Amino acid sequence: MPKKHLASYWLWAAVLLCYAYLSYLMALITLQYLPISTDIAFLRIKQDYIGMTHYRVAFFIHVFTSIFVLLAGFTQFSTYLRCQYYRIHQWSGWLYTVVVLLFAAPSGFIIGIYANGGIPSQIAFCLLAVLWFAFTAIAISSLLKKNIIRHQNFMIRSFALALSALTLRAWKYVLVAIFHPKPMDVYMVIAWLGWVLNLLIAEIIIFKKRNN
Amino acid sequence: MACFEAIKDFLNNFIANYSKTNTIIMKKILFLAVAFVVVIGCNNTTETPNTEEDTTTLIPQSMEVETDEPTEINPLGSYVGMFLAEEYKANKKPSYANKINITIDSMTTDKVYGHSIVAGNMRPFEGTLAAEGDTYTIAAKEPGDDRYDGTFDFKIENGKIVGTWIAYDKNLAVTKRSYNLDKRKFQYNPNLALPEDVAWGEELYGTYDEKLDRGEFVTYDVLKFNASTTELKKEDIENMYQADLEVIRNSIYARHGYSFKNRRMRYLFDTYVEWYVPLKTNILADLTDLEKKNIELLKRYEDHAEKYYDTFGR
Repeated sequence: MPKKHLASYWLWAAVLLCYAYLSYLMALITLQYLPISTDIAFLRIKQDYIGMTHYRVAFFIHVFTSIFVLLAGFTQFSTYLRCQYYRIHQWSGWLYTVVVLLFAAPSGFIIGIYANGGIPSQIAFCLLAVLWFAFTAIAISSLLKKNIIRHQNFMIRSFALALSALTLRAWKYVLVAIFHPKPMDVYMVIAWLGWVLNLLIAEIIIFKKRNN
Repeated sequence: MACFEAIKDFLNNFIANYSKTNTIIMKKILFLAVAFVVVIGCNNTTETPNTEEDTTTLIPQSMEVETDEPTEINPLGSYVGMFLAEEYKANKKPSYANKINITIDSMTTDKVYGHSIVAGNMRPFEGTLAAEGDTYTIAAKEPGDDRYDGTFDFKIENGKIVGTWIAYDKNLAVTKRSYNLDKRKFQYNPNLALPEDVAWGEELYGTYDEKLDRGEFVTYDVLKFNASTTELKKEDIENMYQADLEVIRNSIYARHGYSFKNRRMRYLFDTYVEWYVPLKTNILADLTDLEKKNIELLKRYEDHAEKYYDTFGR
């Protein structure tokens, strides 16, 4: 095996390991809400809203469905899996699409309206939900029109936004460790930082892909 | 100039936080980099003087001191002041100074009954009394069934108590203390506020706790609200540090004369809050409905910060 390949193998192994670990932490966060409780974890400081049916329904839909997005999403970008095991790509693609379009993105929009950190973070989360829905929908409609390149590009964008679940929380950890900001100040920052940077990276990846 | 205010606030918090841990130069470099960017970024705006934080709702009121009665001073009542370590073992982490309340409950011609409250510990004592005019010389003993019991020797004179205390247990961190106490009349006053002239942004002297490896570090946010008079809303407190919330909540207890067991809170109120008088070890029954409501809200945010502030999550 050429040296260059070996290095990129290690890089991917590290990325996947990181992804697996953060997804595991996400699963733990999800499990906190089982058995279903409205006065636990994050909801302890959402008591003003949890009484509202639409908030409560959206919150639990978001928590319990979004985790599948991480599970379904990460296999999709491997050329090997896409070619050799096309069925897997198809099935997890459907799972991803259904969860995002029907559950995770719409519920994300609703809870985004009541996000911590005031208007700036509310705009950030709602915009995130809208873009996530749009990119995923465009990716699927491109696929149905057999425009594979466009399908790929928009799925890269869509998954970049899905990854904000991880990056947002990772950024919070880092910012708190370094700067010790006040709780809502950090929230306002990560609400944007969590996905804008991901989207930029996605655009770079798409740009490079195009040039190849 | 909201931009400037916010950045200043942020930097202050940052500096304050890092004064407590003198770790790692990298962080300082990072800070300088941020400060540099901030200065560049704010250069094109005109500076206006900073308006001070709104503290109009806080009216500090000192305790009534009963020293100006010219004739027949009643020796009964509470005497409050610092309980200072005289003989101690420095390696046992002694509390050098706690605020104590010595209360004389009753007297006969030759006997005295009373109790002391210090560091969350209320102990009765009784002893002998020798009266000479308005001066009373007292030698009293605590029962001896508490680890921190001992003997009190003091004089009551001109509305003051001056004397010493000696522990029964010679292995304690502090075996002898002295005190010079003023007669104080306690009255619950919800308007009592934390003093504004304390450098709240720094680690508070004397509050270092070796077990926790930290001192009390709070910001000027502790002056923002009086939780005994104002109904706190989520928006008021959600952007505050855990330690600030803790101090705001414990100020409620302090107003009721709660004697703190918690060493950090005790140091803070004993040392920095002149009006604070330790009076009781349980004040739950005295809390007003407003205070109970605020305590619940504050505790909710404290718990949340404790669990989630520095973790991977929200």
